[in-house]
Amino acid sequence: MFSPFPDKLWDRKMAAHLLNRAGFGGTPSEIDTLVAMGPEKAVNSFIHADEDGDLYPRPELLMPDQMAELRRREKNAPTEEVRQEVRKELNQRRYSTMLDLRLWWLNRMRYTAAPLLEKATLFWHGHFATSNQKVDDPYLMWVQNETLRRYALGKFPDMLKAMSRDPAMIRWLDLGQSRKDHPNENFAREVMELFSLGEGHYTEKDIQESARAFTGYRINYETGNFHFQQKDYDPRDKTFFGKTAPFTGDEIIDAIVAQPQCARFIGRKLWVFFVSSTPSDEIVDGVAELLLSNGYDIGITLSKIFRSAAFYSPKVVHHQIKGPVQWIMQATKALEIPLPDARVLENSLASLGQIVFAPPNVKGWDGGRAWISASSLLYRYNMAAFLLSGKARILGGGNAKTATIPLETIAPSSVRGISDQLLDTVAFRVFNFPLPPKDRATYLTYLEKQSTPYSDDTVRDLMQIMMSTPDYQLT
Amino acid sequence: MKSPKEQSLHTRRDFLRTSVLGGALASTVPLFLEKTFLCMDTMAASSTGQITTGKDGTILVVLQLAGGNDGINTLVPYGDDAYYKARPSIALPKTEILRINDYAGLHPKLTGMHDLYSQGHLGMVQGVGYPNPNRSHFRSTEIWQTASDAEKNESLGWLGRYFDNCCQGSDPSSVGVAIGGQTPQAFASPSPKGVAFSNPEQFRYMSEAASDPSSADMFMRQMNQPTDAAHSSSSENSGGSIGMLSGPVETEGSTVEFLQRTALGAEMSSDKILAITRKTKSTVNYPQSQLGNSLNLVSRLIAGGLPTRVYYVSQGGFDTHANQLPSHERLMNDLSMATSAFAQDLKAQGNFNRVLMISFSEFGRRVSQNASSGTDHGAAAPLFVMGGGVKPGLYGAYPSLTDLHDGDLKFSTDFRSVYATALEKWLGAPSELVLGKKYPLLPFI
Repeated sequence: MFSPFPDKLWDRKMAAHLLNRAGFGGTPSEIDTLVAMGPEKAVNSFIHADEDGDLYPRPELLMPDQMAELRRREKNAPTEEVRQEVRKELNQRRYSTMLDLRLWWLNRMRYTAAPLLEKATLFWHGHFATSNQKVDDPYLMWVQNETLRRYALGKFPDMLKAMSRDPAMIRWLDLGQSRKDHPNENFAREVMELFSLGEGHYTEKDIQESARAFTGYRINYETGNFHFQQKDYDPRDKTFFGKTAPFTGDEIIDAIVAQPQCARFIGRKLWVFFVSSTPSDEIVDGVAELLLSNGYDIGITLSKIFRSAAFYSPKVVHHQIKGPVQWIMQATKALEIPLPDARVLENSLASLGQIVFAPPNVKGWDGGRAWISASSLLYRYNMAAFLLSGKARILGGGNAKTATIPLETIAPSSVRGISDQLLDTVAFRVFNFPLPPKDRATYLTYLEKQSTPYSDDTVRDLMQIMMSTPDYQLT
Repeated sequence: MKSPKEQSLHTRRDFLRTSVLGGALASTVPLFLEKTFLCMDTMAASSTGQITTGKDGTILVVLQLAGGNDGINTLVPYGDDAYYKARPSIALPKTEILRINDYAGLHPKLTGMHDLYSQGHLGMVQGVGYPNPNRSHFRSTEIWQTASDAEKNESLGWLGRYFDNCCQGSDPSSVGVAIGGQTPQAFASPSPKGVAFSNPEQFRYMSEAASDPSSADMFMRQMNQPTDAAHSSSSENSGGSIGMLSGPVETEGSTVEFLQRTALGAEMSSDKILAITRKTKSTVNYPQSQLGNSLNLVSRLIAGGLPTRVYYVSQGGFDTHANQLPSHERLMNDLSMATSAFAQDLKAQGNFNRVLMISFSEFGRRVSQNASSGTDHGAAAPLFVMGGGVKPGLYGAYPSLTDLHDGDLKFSTDFRSVYATALEKWLGAPSELVLGKKYPLLPFI
């Protein structure tokens, strides 16, 4: 099904494609490093990337015992006035630690030596879409993020079981309130509809029966850890997918992943996120086969996909609409600047439609064309203008500053004298893809109107025009 | 002498050439766009004789209550003992209900809605739903947005099909306006499908950031021109059937063409919308909420004469699985205050008689409360219709609280009858063409 991509066709365009899809993009010199490796080693450098986890220590969060203490103080407050003060403190700390957590993850994506691990974690965050809007506890969101990372390139059934015990998930889908005499169906429904099988591959009866298997799953609020409450668990027989037994939650998950439809569902989502939005049935079957023959190992499956000729097809390369996080990562990496400050980042991601730790609903982000509305497209153009100019009023004011762009590195003096040399140097960095002839002619017309040697202002304006185009939204 | 219809055609083409793509570039308007707009204008002009727009014609505002509003605690069957039995800790006390009749009344926080009812401007359609109800948020929302049967998958939105069939005499920005970051699936259509934005001041291209703004602006516009090449190399994304992951709106054409079309629509509408919102102000106070801000913006766009006839706004947070009394109360309060401010604003403008607002939610909630003092996903629920042209009162029958389907209310009115009524009696559109079937019309207009 997936024949390997031939070594002899490996070039800068293909290496850049791998860097963009398996990670968050990079500079021309990073692309050249991958070119020199050849496709096999290049793919392995993503799959087996080593990362020193200690580089990313847990951000300072409001810990469960601190939260519990604040809640006690709130409850036992002697006067309404004191109670309001405690509540205010609680809310402020939750809010500011959430900003810290968001910045922590985005910076990890920006600087990590193992970009595929972060990219896959982002994929799973969209898959098990849990929002702090309801969980309201940054510490639990961090725990979930680490769990997603631990299993991101591991075995899917293990991840699904870990998610059923994940405290943020338990709160998100009301599992903590599900008990023997009143099972809550929310988790049981979503585990099949959104996490494993898709609508139409189970019955309402399957939901009602399996909901009883997921009873007794609880969060200990002093420690923030999962615990199983035997007395709330329903140990009786459940009839699920035609079999009757006293199934546990884990056994329900085993029965779900044993369905070939599960591999098709996960395979399709992987393809849509990493490769192309409209996979054929053959492709979906092919990825499902990879998953099943490798025990649902995501890392192995992705390595085969990234080695395949299908991944480098002309209909795939430079045909995906960048998500907002991808857009910001690729832009700041190409411009060799850090991420903008936390508040600008927060507002931008909100306007662009992808706030990490706050997906719009349990289905996650629709992705693809749904990223682009008239207003989000204009905002992308203006975000580019902001990154290049550092003028905060473009994004609605404030004191935000951007770092100085190393324009000497982007366009060294050796290319400043000749229009097509400057254009090709800058365009490869910005698009990682050859310019269509008509666009190339237009950019040259622009450059020919400017005086040589081209100034920093001209280089910056040229990049602003390039980044304010439909073409720049693709990767 | 040109007839008014020819004049309008002429003006529109001029607008397209000059203000959108820039006078200097007028001759390079790609053929496919030229054709698209000309064809649209001609069709609209010949089908109705004159083009009805939101400047003077009727306007529809669709309000989505996202998450599944608890209809039973919205239009409360306080006259039924079964209500108090099914909801021991979340039933609303009889004495606080804002009564409509001896059986049903409004949530105590819906005072603004109740006033509108007393003034003769609010109707409530009871027991609205569809056969074989689906309890998934996403699937049921999709069913409401596309007006399809529960067993069928339809990718185009009901408003998108209306845009396509009935208001083609418009550039993309004049078709429909959704307040929010993403275009709702209800707008999905194969041709230009309206615009979505949440803040008009961010809804423009700020070329002043460049060191040479005028040159950057000119070249930016040039690079954002749709090309024939992109149009003809389409097909790569077409034909994808709507499957289990059918969320995003994938209409025809290549990805590049889609981006170019969006860029063009953004420029056109940005100019118009900014011009209007900068010169109009509301005279009433809206609640400081997403819904309040959205309706405020809609009323200013109406006041400013935007040609759009369809607006879409939403209010979120209705998925009340646990401890729902306080959260649902806040939602009802916001809904009531925002709707009442909107009505007052439209009255002050003299536009109240031209506007119909319809609310909907993907489903109601179960009759019985759950163990968490909340309610789980249900089925049929009431919806509101509000405006100067509405005949006040209750429509359809309140479903029985004891004769249930799987713990849920049985629907008595198909939601597509509500759509058909709005299309046929309010927008003057042939509902059968849009909905694919004839549905009985309701007498609320």
